[in-house]
Amino acid sequence: MAVGEVAVEPQEHIHPPPTGFVSKYIISFDHKVIAVQYFITSGLFFVLAGLLAELMRAQLSGPHNNVLSPTTYNEAFTVHGSAMVWLVTIPILTGAFGNLVMPLQIGARDVAFPWLNMFSFWLFPPAGILLFGSFLVGAPQAGWTEYPPVSLMTPGTAMWSAAIFLIGVSSTITGINFLVTVIKMRAPGMTWTRMPLFVWATVVTAFLSAIATANLSAALAGLFIAQIFHIPFFDPARGGSPVLWQHVFWFYSHPAVYIMILPAFGIISEVIPTFVRRPIFGYKAIAYSSVGIGLISFMVWAHHMFTSGLAQWVQLPFMILTMAVAIPTGIKIFSWVTTLWRGRIRLTSPLLFVMGFLSTFTFGGVTGVFLASVPVDIHEHATYFVVAHLHYVLFGGSMFGIFAGLYYWWPKMTGRLLDERLGKWHFWLMFIAFNATFLPMHWIGLLGMPRRVATYFAQFDPELLRTISATNLFITISAFVLGASMLIFAYNALRSARGGERAGSNPWGARTLEWMTTSPPPYYNFAEIPIVLSGPYEYGKPLPYANIKQDPDAVPLH
Amino acid sequence: MATHALHVDDALYEEVRGHRLLGFLLFLISDSILFMSFIFGYLYNRAAAPVWPPPGLERPDVFLAAVNSIVLFGSGVTMHFAMESMRHENRKRFVGFVLATIVLGLMFLGGQVIEYTTLIRHDVTWNGTTFGASFFTLTGMHGFHVFIGVIFLITVLIQTLKGVYTTQRHFGLTAATLYWHFVDVIWVALFSLFYVY
Amino acid sequence: MDIHLIEKILAFIGALVVGFFAVKSLIAEWPKINLEDHVTKVMMVLLTIGCIIVLLVAVNVWGRV
Repeated sequence: MAVGEVAVEPQEHIHPPPTGFVSKYIISFDHKVIAVQYFITSGLFFVLAGLLAELMRAQLSGPHNNVLSPTTYNEAFTVHGSAMVWLVTIPILTGAFGNLVMPLQIGARDVAFPWLNMFSFWLFPPAGILLFGSFLVGAPQAGWTEYPPVSLMTPGTAMWSAAIFLIGVSSTITGINFLVTVIKMRAPGMTWTRMPLFVWATVVTAFLSAIATANLSAALAGLFIAQIFHIPFFDPARGGSPVLWQHVFWFYSHPAVYIMILPAFGIISEVIPTFVRRPIFGYKAIAYSSVGIGLISFMVWAHHMFTSGLAQWVQLPFMILTMAVAIPTGIKIFSWVTTLWRGRIRLTSPLLFVMGFLSTFTFGGVTGVFLASVPVDIHEHATYFVVAHLHYVLFGGSMFGIFAGLYYWWPKMTGRLLDERLGKWHFWLMFIAFNATFLPMHWIGLLGMPRRVATYFAQFDPELLRTISATNLFITISAFVLGASMLIFAYNALRSARGGERAGSNPWGARTLEWMTTSPPPYYNFAEIPIVLSGPYEYGKPLPYANIKQDPDAVPLH
Repeated sequence: MATHALHVDDALYEEVRGHRLLGFLLFLISDSILFMSFIFGYLYNRAAAPVWPPPGLERPDVFLAAVNSIVLFGSGVTMHFAMESMRHENRKRFVGFVLATIVLGLMFLGGQVIEYTTLIRHDVTWNGTTFGASFFTLTGMHGFHVFIGVIFLITVLIQTLKGVYTTQRHFGLTAATLYWHFVDVIWVALFSLFYVY
Repeated sequence: MDIHLIEKILAFIGALVVGFFAVKSLIAEWPKINLEDHVTKVMMVLLTIGCIIVLLVAVNVWGRV
């Protein structure tokens, strides 16, 4: 056996393997196959939504361009945002990473409800088709937040509502599935405080998905019937209120942004100990702070509504609670940095993306505290300062975290290694281009550049307009470089899939359970369900599993 | 697809049953959140209205709704008795109580139809004022849930007659009962919000 | 006879009957300890509250007429 290999023999009374192409790859009940399905589908929507962004940037490269008509520009930013949130980030972090990693990390053979898992996935492609299909009838134009009455003026809003509703159902089912799996199916001996931190992140995320998403479904149904049947919930002329939409929408959508970041936090917590070969600092702090973030996330939604006419006495608690959420988040950053401090760091691609995450996400978190302050937000709401903030946390945070996880678990998922050199090129190009794209947006936002406008010649006097235009041109060029950096990853992935170097069970020398079986794992995951004796990050001690045969001192391949 | 109730050993059955129970309860919780969002919307619009109900509107008949409510609550009790009969191996009584539950559920839906037609005849419509919008949306959603519940009950009745369940292993019945109670409890809230408060 | 009076009588009697059986079931279920039994108990309590509300409506104490 090669270094780090495990012996895996098939066991009795496990269901027989699926046979035939359809059962193995299309209608699969195997969480690992479903994860790959999510990765591929999300990847496709990432490319489409990214292309929309590049079109938007082309339009904004000058103050009065004609690349896109104003209507098409509105459609572009609406579908870009909606797709990135609901067709890319949430499905990848929950459906792909959650499915791929969590059952293995708890020593289970699959999730609690494999049929529902398959069903959850298959709701996803139709939802995406509905969303992008709305371009054919006139896509929604009011941004991913779709505030009425503007949202009710475009025909595509009904399709948008239906699409996101489907994703919501998928997300709720996945949340319930993951909650039951982690609560009930952990390997013997795996107490809550012996769970890997990615599993903690997945549990809190699953709780948010299961509870908050139903609220979104209600909002979407309300918008749908408002458009199709003229139901007056949001129409002030008939007793309704547009602010009602904002409340109901944001009550879900704020927890949603934590659905989009908590699994990424979990990925960071997995990657750092592996490449520093040290126990993570503050395991309980990181675990409980995830729970704290999940709970607080339900209490801050109105910070998106500071300019909607809310009474001041309402705004104040939201401001304070929003600032407060920086505390559990800061606890994590502190713990991660402390884990790395004076450690023997192996600077592999996954860890590079972690470093990228730590800098960009923290930066985004800081601008979030700025925006949490009502007086600041009143000036910066709907400017590019917000666009900069949200991309620093969602791209700098979630996307860098996603790539860290992809580089880390690619060998486990495919059985092959990605090329390290290409990984480093990808990272540096992406990191530099990302900052070049989004850092200047803070500045032009503070100067008054509004969001969601196709042209900006009318906003500024000539001299300031020259500065703003030049900055926008710089941003556009950087955005194209950022898009191009993804091609490096695509090439790396294809090359690896077609015959990259084979990975053993544990190429990184990590200690969580997914690395204690082959790469990729057999359909039944483990020959014997492991018995867990201790925590997962105690490097230097013997492996904490009673029945796994792997040499813990084996030198990792990379 | 499902683990057939009879073909696995006790330990495995109990384990899987535990998963299904937790999953089903989480589903009911998320369904409550769905209703709570619409209830929030109703209360928000109501609080923002200068006068409630909007002037000139016909009031729904509280007393008819009260009778209808008792019909539904009664069906909750008959369903509970059905479960007890199953646990005490009384197949005949079980079938009788489930049929009673289904009949009462359908009577409730009939009562709602009468209520809706009366209101519409008096110009209280779904797309008129926010009163009609909230009333018809919330009670309509609830009625839809009752309808699904009736189908659920018919299904478990058929499964019982086919001998799928035993006195020890009948998770489908437990789930149907919990779902039916859930629908009942939501109605307590809606009756209070639209007819009492 | 006024339809409302018939409805009120039906509601009143129904609330008493259904409420009685709900409370009786609740007492019988009380010692059980499984998760679904706890949920059933909560549901029975809420159902009883529902019956009380209907009772109060039937005697004109509550309810918008």
